[in-house]
Amino acid sequence: MSSLSLAAVSGRRVKARRAGVGVTRPGFAWAIPATLFFLLFAILPLALVAVLSFTSWDGVTAPHFNGLANWTKLIHDPVMTQSIWLTLVLTVLGIVTQTPISILLGVWAAGPQRNRAVLSAIFFVPLLLSATAVSVLWRALLDPNFGIPGQLPSLFGNGNLLGSQAGSIAVLTFVGMWQFTPLHALLYQGGARAVPQVLYQAAAIDGAGTVRQFFHITLPQLRNTMITSMILMVVGGLTTFDTVLILTQGGPGTDTTVSAYYMYEQGFKEYDFGAGSAIALVLVVVATLISLAVVRLSGYDKMRSTAEGI
Amino acid sequence: MRQRPNYLAGLGSLIWLALVGLPLYVLLIATLRTTSNYSSQGPLSFPSQLTLSNYFNAFSNGFGQDFLNTLIVTVSVVGIVLVVVPPLAYAIVRAQGRTITVVFRFFLLGLAIPAQAVIVPMFYVISQAGLYDHLIGVILPTAAFSLPVCTLVLTGAMRDITPDLYEAMAMDGASPRRVFRQLVLPLSKGGLSSIVVFSALQAWNGFLFPLILTQSDSTKVITLGLYNFQTEHGVDVPGLLSAVVLSMLPIFVVYLFARRALVQGLMGVGGK
Amino acid sequence: MGSLRVTVHNSATRNRFAAVAAATALVLGLTSACGSSGGSNSGTMHVLVYGDAANKVEKQIVDTFNKTSKVKAVLDTIPGADYQQKLNTIINTPQAPDIFFNWGGGSIAPFAKKNLLLPLDDMIAKDPGLKSNFLPSVFNTAVVDGKSYGVPMRGTQPVLLFNNKKVLASAGLSVPRTWDDLINDVKVLKAKGLTPIALGGGDQWPSLMWFEYVFDRVAGPDLFQKALAGDKSAWAGPDSQKALGMLKQLIDAGAFGGSFDSVKYTDGGSPALLAKGKAAFELMGSWEYSTQQSNNPDFAKNDLGYSAFPTVSGGKGDPKDVVGNTNNFYSVVKKTRHPDAVAAFLKLMYSDEFVKAQLGIGNLPTTTNTANFLSTSASPDYSQFQFDLVKAAPSFQLSWDQAYPPAAATPLHTAVQKFFDGKSDANGFIQAMQSLSNS
Repeated sequence: MSSLSLAAVSGRRVKARRAGVGVTRPGFAWAIPATLFFLLFAILPLALVAVLSFTSWDGVTAPHFNGLANWTKLIHDPVMTQSIWLTLVLTVLGIVTQTPISILLGVWAAGPQRNRAVLSAIFFVPLLLSATAVSVLWRALLDPNFGIPGQLPSLFGNGNLLGSQAGSIAVLTFVGMWQFTPLHALLYQGGARAVPQVLYQAAAIDGAGTVRQFFHITLPQLRNTMITSMILMVVGGLTTFDTVLILTQGGPGTDTTVSAYYMYEQGFKEYDFGAGSAIALVLVVVATLISLAVVRLSGYDKMRSTAEGI
Repeated sequence: MRQRPNYLAGLGSLIWLALVGLPLYVLLIATLRTTSNYSSQGPLSFPSQLTLSNYFNAFSNGFGQDFLNTLIVTVSVVGIVLVVVPPLAYAIVRAQGRTITVVFRFFLLGLAIPAQAVIVPMFYVISQAGLYDHLIGVILPTAAFSLPVCTLVLTGAMRDITPDLYEAMAMDGASPRRVFRQLVLPLSKGGLSSIVVFSALQAWNGFLFPLILTQSDSTKVITLGLYNFQTEHGVDVPGLLSAVVLSMLPIFVVYLFARRALVQGLMGVGGK
Repeated sequence: MGSLRVTVHNSATRNRFAAVAAATALVLGLTSACGSSGGSNSGTMHVLVYGDAANKVEKQIVDTFNKTSKVKAVLDTIPGADYQQKLNTIINTPQAPDIFFNWGGGSIAPFAKKNLLLPLDDMIAKDPGLKSNFLPSVFNTAVVDGKSYGVPMRGTQPVLLFNNKKVLASAGLSVPRTWDDLINDVKVLKAKGLTPIALGGGDQWPSLMWFEYVFDRVAGPDLFQKALAGDKSAWAGPDSQKALGMLKQLIDAGAFGGSFDSVKYTDGGSPALLAKGKAAFELMGSWEYSTQQSNNPDFAKNDLGYSAFPTVSGGKGDPKDVVGNTNNFYSVVKKTRHPDAVAAFLKLMYSDEFVKAQLGIGNLPTTTNTANFLSTSASPDYSQFQFDLVKAAPSFQLSWDQAYPPAAATPLHTAVQKFFDGKSDANGFIQAMQSLSNS
C-alpha cells in the first residue's frame, strides 16, 4: 500500500493551503498512545535483534555477549551465502513470472464488459486465502502419490517436485505466482483505469491496433504502477517464509533455505538465537534501505510539511 | 473507448482462469468426498458420492475453538488499531512541530520492518512478559505491525479534508477533540473502513506470531490449526482442505458484501 | 496473571467460555499483574506430550490421575514435527510444563546440565518401585551423569521392517532375512512397477533409520558410541565406508522410488503408501502399528507384516541388535510447584491400567509386569514379537538424532537427506558427521 497511496496522495498536495491563524490544532499528546505502543512492540524488539546478534543465546539460559562471533560464523557459512542467492533468485523469479501475467490480467479486468466482473471475481479468489492456506493447499495438490502428479504421470513424471532444487524452486515460484498475481493484477487494474481514454481515441484515429495501443499507450502509462508493484514484490520476496516452511522446509538438503527461513532454523531449530538475530538484522537493514530509497525517490516524507506549508 | 477486444490480455486471462479454476475445483470437490475415495480415485476425478462429513469432522476436531480464538485475535487487533491510529493520524495531519514529523517518518520506516526479522526478540519480550501462549501475546505484536500501513492509509484519507472546514469549526471555537469527533472522523470513513479490513486480514491470516508465540490447543488460531493438521494428518486431504475452505469463508462473505473495502484493505496487505 | 491464564485445553463449551472470558479480560488490559508463574497456583500441573495417535492413553492416564488427585493434571500436546523445538523454547520460561515427554539421552542432557530438571533420585528413594519396576536397560537411557531424570512412559520402540503381506504374496516374495534377500526383493518389486520401500524422506529421520541399522549390522554398536563420545575418526574407518557403500547400493537400486523427498511419514504419507499397496516395505519404529491402526484399521488387522532388520553377512554387529527409541520418558522440571503430585502421577506409569492401555494401542511398555499382560494386547503376536526381540537384543541403540543433543538434529538430518539424494557422497557424509557437536 505504501507507495500506492504515495502516488494517490501526491496529487492532493495542492489542495491543502495554509490554515487560518486561529485554528486550534491537536497537540503531540494525540500521537502518544500509538507511538508508545509501536515503540514497545516493534522498535524495542528491533533494537533487541541488534543486541542479540552480538550474543550467544540458546533460548534456555541467559544470553551472553560473544562479540562478533555470530558475524564471523555467518560470513564463513556457505549456507548463509547460498540463502542470500536463493532469496534473490526467488525474488527475481517472482517478478519475472508475476509481472507479465498481472499486467495482462489487470488491463483485461479494467475493460468495460460486464462478464468480466464475474470472471474477475473467480480470478481473485486466491487473494482470500492466507499464505498458510495457500501453501497447505498446494502441498496437498502436489503430493507425488495422492495429488495431481499421481493422476497425471505423463505430465509430472514420478512427481518428485520437491526432491530437487530446480523442482522446489519451481514449486515455490509457482505457488508465489498463484498467491500474489491477483494482488498485482488489482494494482494494474487501477492503473489501467486511470489511463485517459483520450489517448486511446487519438491512437484509434491514427489507426493503431490493440496491440500497438497496449505497447505504446497502456504500458508506458502503467510505469508508476509497475514501480509500486515491483517494490511490493521485492519486499515480499525478501521475507518469503510461510511457503518455504510449509512446502519445502528449506529442503531438499539446504536447497531452498532462503534467508528468512535460515534465520528461523538457526534460532528455533538449532537453538542458536544469536546467529538467528544476526541474519534477522541483515534482513532489516536490506528492507530498510529499500524503503528509504522509496521514501526518498517519491519524496513522500516531505509531503506533510508541503501540505501544511511549514 | 477501445473498439477492439484486447486478445493478448484475453489469452492471459484464459490461462489464469485454468490456473485458478482447476485448484479451486479440486479444493471444493475434495472437501465433499471421503479420504479413501480421494486417495484411490485421485484428486481430479468427480466422486461418485458426496458427503459433508469432512466439515463436521473439522468442527469435532476443534475447528470451532480455533475459529473463536482467531475471532478474538482479530476483533482485539482491530480494536487496538481503531483506538490508537485515528488520533495519531489526526496529529500527523494537523499538529505542528518537528516532533510529529519525526514520529511520522519513524512509522514510515516501520513499513520496511519485516515481522520475520523480529520474531526472536519478540519471543523473548513476550515470554519475559509472561504472555507466551496467551492470545494477548499474539494480539499485541500483530496490532503493532499493522500500525505503519494503517497510519499511512488513514493520514492519506484525512489529508482530503480541506482547511476551510477546519477554519469553519475553529470559528465556532471548537476544541481539537470536537474537531476530531465531528469533522475528522465522519469525513474519513473510507480510510477507516480500509484500516479495519487491513488490520482484520493481518490478524485473521497471521501465522508467524501464533507459530512462535503459542503452543496449546486453547490458544490455537486457524492458520496454526491448518499447519498442525498438515504436519500431523496431511494425508487426510479432504479433512485438511475442508479446514482451508472454512478458514476463508468469513473473508469470502466480506468479499461478497464489501468488495471495495476488502480490495483496498488487501492492497494494504500486499504492502507488508 | 496466573489466575487469568487460559488453562483450558479441550473444546468443551464450558471451556470456550472460560477462554473467551480470560482472553477478553486480558484484552481489557487487566494484565498489570503479569510476571508470576502461570498455572501452578490454581492447583493444576501441566503434562506436555508429543502429539500423535498414542495420546489417547496419555489422556486416559491423566483422567485416572485426576479422579483422586487434588492437583489436577492438564495434558498439552504439540504435534510431532515441532515438539522438540517448542519444548526448548519454553523449558526455562514461566510457561514450562511440570512434566514433559522426551526420548532420554541427548534430548534431555542439555537441560539436565543446565540444572533445569529435577533429579528423581529422592522420589525413587521414597518409592523404589519408580525404578525397580522398569527394565534397567531402558530406565538407564534417561540417566545423565549418574542421576535419574526420567520415567518410561510409553512403549519401547524398536525399529522394524514392516511389510504389506498382500503385496509380497502377489509378487511371490517372502520376508527378507538377509541384505541380499532385500536387494533381490527390491529388484523384483521394482520390475513390477511398485515402489519397493516406502520412505518419508521429507521428514528426514525415517531415512536416518536406514543408517542406524546398516551401521550397526556392519560395524556393531561401538562405532557410533565412540563417535558420540567424541572420537570423530570413528566415522572415517573402513566399516563406515562399507556401510555407506551398501546404503548407496540400495538407493541406486531404486529401492525408495523417485519421490521419497516429497513424501512424509508424519502427515501419514508413507504409511498410506504401504497400506494402499503402492509400496511393499517400510522401515519404521514400532509405532507404525498404532498409526496404521488409526489411519487404516483394516490393513493393520489383516495385512500388516513385520520382521527384524535383515542380517548382513560378514558384519561385526550382532544380528539380534535393535535400534530405535528404548522408550519415551516423563521428566520433571525443577521449578514444579507440585513434586508430590508429580511423584503420584509417575507411579501410574507402572500400573496395570497403564500397561494394558499401552498394549491396547500396540505399544509395548517396558515394565517388569508387561509379560503378564501380553495376551491382552491389541495384537498379541505383534507384542510378543517385539518383546522377544527387545529382550534378546544385546544392544539397543538409541536413535542417533536423540542420542546427540537437539541442536545437532538439523545438521544430522540434512546430511542424511543429502546422501539419500545423491548430493553428497560417502566422504561428504563422513565430514558432516564429524562436524556435529556432541555437547
